[in-house]
Amino acid sequence: MSTRNAAAEKLLLQMVDDYTTREVAPLDMAIDHAQDFPEGYLQQLTQTGFLGLMLPQEFGGAGFGPEVTATVLNHLARGNASTAVTLEGHYKTLDQILKFGTPALQQQLLPSATQRIFAFSMTEASGGSNPMGISSTATREGDHWVINGDKIMITNGGLAQVYCVLVKTAPTELSVFVVDQDMPGFSFGKREDFIGLRGTPVGEIVMDHIIVDDDHLLGKVGDGGLIGDSAHDDARILMGAVLTGIMEHELKIATDYAKERKAGQTPLTELQVTHRKVADIAMRKETTKLLYERAAQLKAAGQPYSEEAAMAKAHGSRAAVAAGDDALQILAGYGYSREYPVEHLIRDARAMEIAEGTVEKMRSAIATAEFHK
Amino acid sequence: MKIVVCIKQVPETNDVTIDPHTHNLDRRGLAGVMNPFDKNAVEQALQLKAATDAEVVLLTMGPDDYAQSLREGMAMGADSGVLLSDRAFAGADTLATGYVLAQAIAKIGDVDLIIFGRQAVDADTGQVGPIVAEFLHQPQITYAATLRLSGPNEVTAERLLEDTKQTLVAQLPAVVSVRSELNTPRYPTPRNIQLSFTKPLTTWHHDDLDLDDTRLGQAGSPTIVTKVYAPTPVKRALTPLTGTPQEAASQLIKALKDRQLL
Amino acid sequence: MSKPELWVVAERRLDHIEPTTQQLITKATRLAGDHFHVVTVLLEATTDHLEDELQPYGPDEIRIVRDDRFPTATDAELADALKQLIDAAHPNTVLFGATITGRSIAPRLQAKLQTGLTADCLDLRFDDETLVATKPSYGDNIMCEIICPDRRPQMATVRPNTFVAQPQADATPAITTAHITFHPVARLHVTAATPVVNTATTVGDASRVVALGRGAANEDTIASATQLAEKLGGRIGVSRPLTDQDRFTHDDQIGQSGNTIHPDLILNFGISGAVQYLVGMQDSQTIVSVNSDPNAPIFAASDYGYVGDAQAFMTALLAQFA
Repeated sequence: MSTRNAAAEKLLLQMVDDYTTREVAPLDMAIDHAQDFPEGYLQQLTQTGFLGLMLPQEFGGAGFGPEVTATVLNHLARGNASTAVTLEGHYKTLDQILKFGTPALQQQLLPSATQRIFAFSMTEASGGSNPMGISSTATREGDHWVINGDKIMITNGGLAQVYCVLVKTAPTELSVFVVDQDMPGFSFGKREDFIGLRGTPVGEIVMDHIIVDDDHLLGKVGDGGLIGDSAHDDARILMGAVLTGIMEHELKIATDYAKERKAGQTPLTELQVTHRKVADIAMRKETTKLLYERAAQLKAAGQPYSEEAAMAKAHGSRAAVAAGDDALQILAGYGYSREYPVEHLIRDARAMEIAEGTVEKMRSAIATAEFHK
Repeated sequence: MKIVVCIKQVPETNDVTIDPHTHNLDRRGLAGVMNPFDKNAVEQALQLKAATDAEVVLLTMGPDDYAQSLREGMAMGADSGVLLSDRAFAGADTLATGYVLAQAIAKIGDVDLIIFGRQAVDADTGQVGPIVAEFLHQPQITYAATLRLSGPNEVTAERLLEDTKQTLVAQLPAVVSVRSELNTPRYPTPRNIQLSFTKPLTTWHHDDLDLDDTRLGQAGSPTIVTKVYAPTPVKRALTPLTGTPQEAASQLIKALKDRQLL
Repeated sequence: MSKPELWVVAERRLDHIEPTTQQLITKATRLAGDHFHVVTVLLEATTDHLEDELQPYGPDEIRIVRDDRFPTATDAELADALKQLIDAAHPNTVLFGATITGRSIAPRLQAKLQTGLTADCLDLRFDDETLVATKPSYGDNIMCEIICPDRRPQMATVRPNTFVAQPQADATPAITTAHITFHPVARLHVTAATPVVNTATTVGDASRVVALGRGAANEDTIASATQLAEKLGGRIGVSRPLTDQDRFTHDDQIGQSGNTIHPDLILNFGISGAVQYLVGMQDSQTIVSVNSDPNAPIFAASDYGYVGDAQAFMTALLAQFA
C-alpha cells in the first residue's frame, strides 16, 4: 500500500480538472450523439497516463490508491460519464489481476496495462446475474486449457485488448482466465446499441477453441465466484464516483440555468419549486459522494467494503436519475431537448441501475449483510 | 546542454476583487497554479531536451508554496527545481526580481539557454526576461513563435512583430521568451506527478546567493503601487430601440444617419 | 532653468512610424503643458525621413539619431543606443508603445538604467514631476496606479490605441540630431525580416466594429456579423468567451488584456458586458447593443439598445442596408 502524498494528489486533481475542462467536457454532447469517442480521444487519454493511474509504479503506473482513483473518476465524469466508465472497466479489471494474479502473471500482463485497455467479462445470454447459468467453459486438455464460449455486454468489449473471462471449469465450478484479442480463436461480436453511456462500447467476444496454459488462470481453479464478486465490489465504488460526477454536472446545469432565467418577473432562483429541486439534487449528490468515499476508505484500509460499495452504486444510480429528472424539469423545454445535455445524463445514469448488478440485487446484498450483523 | 526555465506561480483565476474597506486586493481562497504562459516555456524546453538530451532546471522566486509549481513542471518532465525564497526577496518589482533570478542563474552555472513565458497572467508585464538578459549580458529573443537548435551552440527563432516576421539566430548562451502559440503544453501524467517527488528541489535563501542587499525586495524596487482599484465603466443615456427587429433596425439606421455614421 | 524632458521613443513599423508613437506624442504634449519639454527620439537610417510622420503631432523637439544599422538592430543594440542618449540628456520620463518591440526594448533599458518601468499602461498623469501610470493587472480586472518616486528617468510602456493621435495645425517642432556610438552585438543576428501579408487590420485599428459575445456564437450569427462588418467597412471583434473558438484569436478580443478600442461605432451582439469588456470599449463614439437579457449590464454603457434576438436583429439590419 502506497503512502498518500497530499501534494501529489493536489497536482493530480489540478491536472485532471484541467484535462476535463479542456479535453473532455467540450466533447460530451458529441460523444453521446456519435455513439463513440472521437478519433484520437482514447489515444490522448492513454498518452496522458490515465490507464496507469492505479497501477503500481513497479509496473509503470502511478500507483494512486483507491480513494484518489475514485475521486479522479468523479472529476472526469463531470465532463463526460462514458470516459469515466471506460476507465472504471479497466481499473476494476486491473484490480482483480493485482489481487488474484500470480507474480508471474502480473509481470507478464501489467506492464502493458498503461497502453492497453483491460476488460472483465461475466455476462452471457444464458446468465447475467446468475453466474452458474453461464455456459462458457475451459476444459483441460493435456497441459492446456481450451476455452469456448460467448460473452456479451462487456464494458469496453471490442475496445479492450485483454479480457478476464468467467468460465466453468466443471459443472458447478467457476474460474477466471485471461485471454487477449490476438489469440487464435478470439473474435469480436456485436456492439450493443445502448441508450446511455454511448461513448463506452459494450460488446461481445466469441471464444472458439482458445488454448491457454495454466499461467493464464487468474487465482485458483474454482475462484471464479470470488473474483467476480470482488470485481463487482471494486466497480461499484467507482460507479458511485462516476454518478457523483454526473450529479455535479446536473446540479451545475440546473443552477446556471436558474440563475439566468425568470418565470414571469420572478427569477427562478427565488421560486420555492426551484429551491426544492436544487436542494434535492445537491443532497443526492453529496450522499452519494460520502458513500463512495466511505467505501474507498474501507478498501484502502483493508477493511470489508462490499456492502458500502453496493450502497454507493444503488443509492447513486437512482439518485442521479432522479436528480437528472429534477434538472430537466427546471430547464423545462430546454431540458427535454437533445440540444441540452440533461437528457443524456439521465440516460447515462440509468445504465448504472443495471450494470455491475441491478439495484434490486444491490438491495438484496445490503439486506443480507444487515441480517448477518 | 543546460536550460533554465523561469516560472511564476499565479492565482488560479483572474477574478480577484478589491476589499471595499481596506482597498486591498482580496486573494483569499485563490489556489496558486503555474502561470499558463510558463507552461509553454517548459514545453519548449522539454522538446529541446528530447532533441539534445539537455538538462532542464526550473527556477522560481516566491514563498515556499511556489514549490507546487516547480513540482508541476518537474511532473511535465523537467529534471530539477530551484526555489528562491527569503523574506528579503518579498515585495520585489520586476527589476529586483530580475536581479535575484540573474544571480541565481549565475550560481546554477554553465546555463546555455534561459526560457521565459511571454508574461505572467496576473501582472502582465513580460519584463523580467529582458531584465535578466541585460543583467547577464546575453542576447535576447522575445515573443519567439518558433525555436530550434540550429547548431551546436546556436538557436534560431522566428518572431512575429506587428506586421513583420523576423528570423533571428543567437549564439548561446541566450535568453528567449516564447509566445503561447508556439506549442501545446503536455499534461503531467499521473505517474510523472508521483515521480516528480523523487526529483531534486532545492531552496536557496538569501545567504545562498551573492547579493547586493540594496537591490533586493521592496527596498530594491524602484516602483511603488500607490493605489489599487476596480475599474468602473462609464454609464451612458440609453435610447431603447423598440418593436420588432425590423422596426428596431430602422430606428437604428435613422439614428446612425443622424449621427453621420451612415 | 531648462524644463525637464518628457520623451516618447518613436517606433518604426516597416517603413513607417508605428501609430502608437503618434498617440503618445499627442498625450505627452497634453500632459506637458508648460512644464515639460516633449522630445520624440527617433532612431533611423541615414536615408529615412520618418520625422515627417512625427512632425504634425507637435512634440517640442524631434531628436534624430541616424545609423543605417538601426532598421535591423536588435533589442540590446537599440537599448544601448537609448542608454547613451539618456545619459547625455537625463530625461525625466521615457515613454514607449506597449508593442512587441516596445515591451522588449524598454525592460532591457530599464535594467541598464536601474530604474522603474510600468508595463502596458492605460492612463498617464503627472503629480508635479512624478509620473502616475495606471496599469491593468489580473486580466484587466484590477487597475493599479504605479509611481517611481526616486529614480529617473521614470518609464512606461503604453497600450496601443489607449490615446487618440491628433495632428496639430501649426506644429513646428525643432528638429535636432544626436550622436551615439553603435555597439554591435555579435551574438545575435536578424537573418530575415519579411513583411507579413496581413491586410486585415486588428480590431483596435477598425473604425467600425461588430462585436460578438457568448450569446451570438453560432455559425449563422457569425456569418451575418461578417456581412454586417463588410457593409459597415468594419471588422469583427469578440469578447473573451469566443476566443476559445479556433477562428478567433486574442487579436480579435476586446477588453481583458486584449485590445482597448475606441471606434466611431460599435455594435455589440450577445455580449452581457463584463467590466473588463466595458472598460475595453467604453471610449467608442457610438455604442449600440443587442441582447436578449434586458438586465445585461451592457445596456447601461450603451447609447442604443435592443432587447431581443441578435440574429433576428442582424437579419433585419442587413435587409434594410440592401
